[in-house]
Amino acid sequence: MKKSLLITVALVALISVSVFAGGSGETGPKIGFIGPMTGDNANYGILCNNSVILAVEQFNAKGGIDGKLKVTLVTEDSEGVPEKGLSAIEKLSSSDKISGLIGPVFTGVAFAVGERVQNEGIVMLSPSATHADITSIGDYVFRTVVSDGLQGEVAGHYFYEKLGYRTIGVLYAKNDYSQGLFEGMTASFEKAGGKMIISEAFQVGDKDFKTQLTKIRSANPEAIYIPNYTAEMAQILEQASQLGIKIPFLSCDGFSNPDIYNLAGDFTHGVVYVGPAQVAESLAYAKFKSDYEKKFGVSPDSFATNAFDGANILLGAMEKVYKATGTFDRKAIRDAVAATKDYQGVTGTVNFAENGDIIAYQGLYRVNGTTPEYIGTFTVVDGVLTQVD
Amino acid sequence: MGIAEFFQHLTNGLTLGGIYALIALGYTMVYGILKFINFAHGDVLMVGSYAGLFIYNALRGDAPLGPWVLIAFFLAMLASMVISALLGVTIERVAYKPLRKATRLAPLLSAIGVSFILSNSAAWAFGTNSKKFHYPFDNTPFVFKGVVITPHQILILSVSLVMMIILKIFIDRTRMGKAMRATSLDQQTAMLMGINVDRVISLTFSIGSALAAVGGILIALDFKVYATMGTMTGLKAFVAAVFGGIGNITGAMLGGILLGILETFGVAIFGIPSGLKDTIAFGVLIIILLVKPAGLLGKDEKEKV
Repeated sequence: MKKSLLITVALVALISVSVFAGGSGETGPKIGFIGPMTGDNANYGILCNNSVILAVEQFNAKGGIDGKLKVTLVTEDSEGVPEKGLSAIEKLSSSDKISGLIGPVFTGVAFAVGERVQNEGIVMLSPSATHADITSIGDYVFRTVVSDGLQGEVAGHYFYEKLGYRTIGVLYAKNDYSQGLFEGMTASFEKAGGKMIISEAFQVGDKDFKTQLTKIRSANPEAIYIPNYTAEMAQILEQASQLGIKIPFLSCDGFSNPDIYNLAGDFTHGVVYVGPAQVAESLAYAKFKSDYEKKFGVSPDSFATNAFDGANILLGAMEKVYKATGTFDRKAIRDAVAATKDYQGVTGTVNFAENGDIIAYQGLYRVNGTTPEYIGTFTVVDGVLTQVD
Repeated sequence: MGIAEFFQHLTNGLTLGGIYALIALGYTMVYGILKFINFAHGDVLMVGSYAGLFIYNALRGDAPLGPWVLIAFFLAMLASMVISALLGVTIERVAYKPLRKATRLAPLLSAIGVSFILSNSAAWAFGTNSKKFHYPFDNTPFVFKGVVITPHQILILSVSLVMMIILKIFIDRTRMGKAMRATSLDQQTAMLMGINVDRVISLTFSIGSALAAVGGILIALDFKVYATMGTMTGLKAFVAAVFGGIGNITGAMLGGILLGILETFGVAIFGIPSGLKDTIAFGVLIIILLVKPAGLLGKDEKEKV
């Protein structure tokens, strides 16, 4: 009996010592990143994670929060799978106690993780989850990428009005991202007066698209829209050429990842895609790009560019809250992110709409050989396609 | 549907089926001899494809398309057949042979274990992203009256056909083939007749694995090489083997070809949503098991191999 009492006292003493020890030197806050770091889609996750690493490093180099607290980044691999994303946010939230999250990179994962951060009250900024409904999860969910709502709307109008297509075929994947874009583009294309005459689906991970492509070839639409990720799009373009399909291909922001040119090579020639609006090469972007290339040896894609702005907005919000309150209150950080006004980032001027969506424009690109050429910047105002520059 | 579209689907289905048939042979031969499904077969295919890819890349270097590249390709294919055959035999020795007298479930579970070990090791060693296997020839398609066929598809069809004919002759006409047939009929009696059953089993595994390597490399040209490539392909080939009558070699060939055509036509003609393409094979499996469990050419538990 006495012995156990002694042990208890010793334990209590030990615990209190460690608590006090922890309290004396203030430790810096953590932010999290979730994205596919391995697997077929790792190219997306790694490029975005690089941006966050860069942002945190530059922020810390300037002294960190309030000139004294260094921020730590904790990266978790989702492999692009919602289940893995959930265990990642579980760890980030309960064990790492992050102040905010950059990611997830994929729409499907963002849906799962979004519910969790909303319940936990952790602000989340996805650089790439584009499904129209992502930000409807709740007020803690933000994104620095344009919603498919706008992407689909611009796509449908542009294909009809500027490219002059009247019929279109679609080959999409059975996932939230691809299906969301397919539905958004179709709605706007048909509203403009066009007709979607054939839509074929496949499962994520499929490698053989010949059956679907043969059916589309027979329906003979004027163009084929493939809103997918690079691994599948490369496969589709290659097999389409094997089937002798000469119909032009249209795509989405997934096409702006340079990996497509390694995988698909010359088959990319002639593809027109809707991607991020290009800001007149701002100094901020040029500096970001050169810093990024110097550190990582690769160029950032559009999602990575978004991730850099997202990370800096989050860091800025954390510093603001810390200066005002001396804490990293998650609710206050969320409010500070929402209050972002005319933030001058590398993607241009960033403002958030009421629902957490970034207010933005879309860019149109045409691939010449294996080089994307910029066509222009567009947006849709009250159902009318408008060219911005 | 137009005539051209019909024949296009038929071409696509035939080539897909040719590969299934090639891989199904491995399942069916092992089943014929040992009455057990080698679930690691698909992963042997995957290892064979990696081996083929690395050897091909090493031999080819930066050489432009030409006769040398074709030779390099066939050398790589031969080498990968040897490597896969060795792997198949090793797996049999290590993971199945000690269990030959155990319950029928034991080697099956052991096979599933081997399958995971192989695919996880490959993911660990080679990474999880797909690797492109460049065509060793110009793959510009030929067009006949609106039907398109690529040189790659012709290669698949001819290689599968040649392999199947050689195998058929080997089993029907040679002494070793006769020994295989005898072993599949009755192992005990075959042993009494002086047949080295262990050697026959090793031979069966090496032939099946070598054919899987060929199938793997042929698919890899179209679908790339990745650590889990054997899983779905293996399952489909397994269905093809059951479809044709497991244990029956002609059945496996027929089952493979028919399955490829069914998958393609199921979507194209019967209007099955294309997102459900993979479920067709497994639907076929269930129907076959219910209606004709012995498979198309199976003769209810007699005459195997």
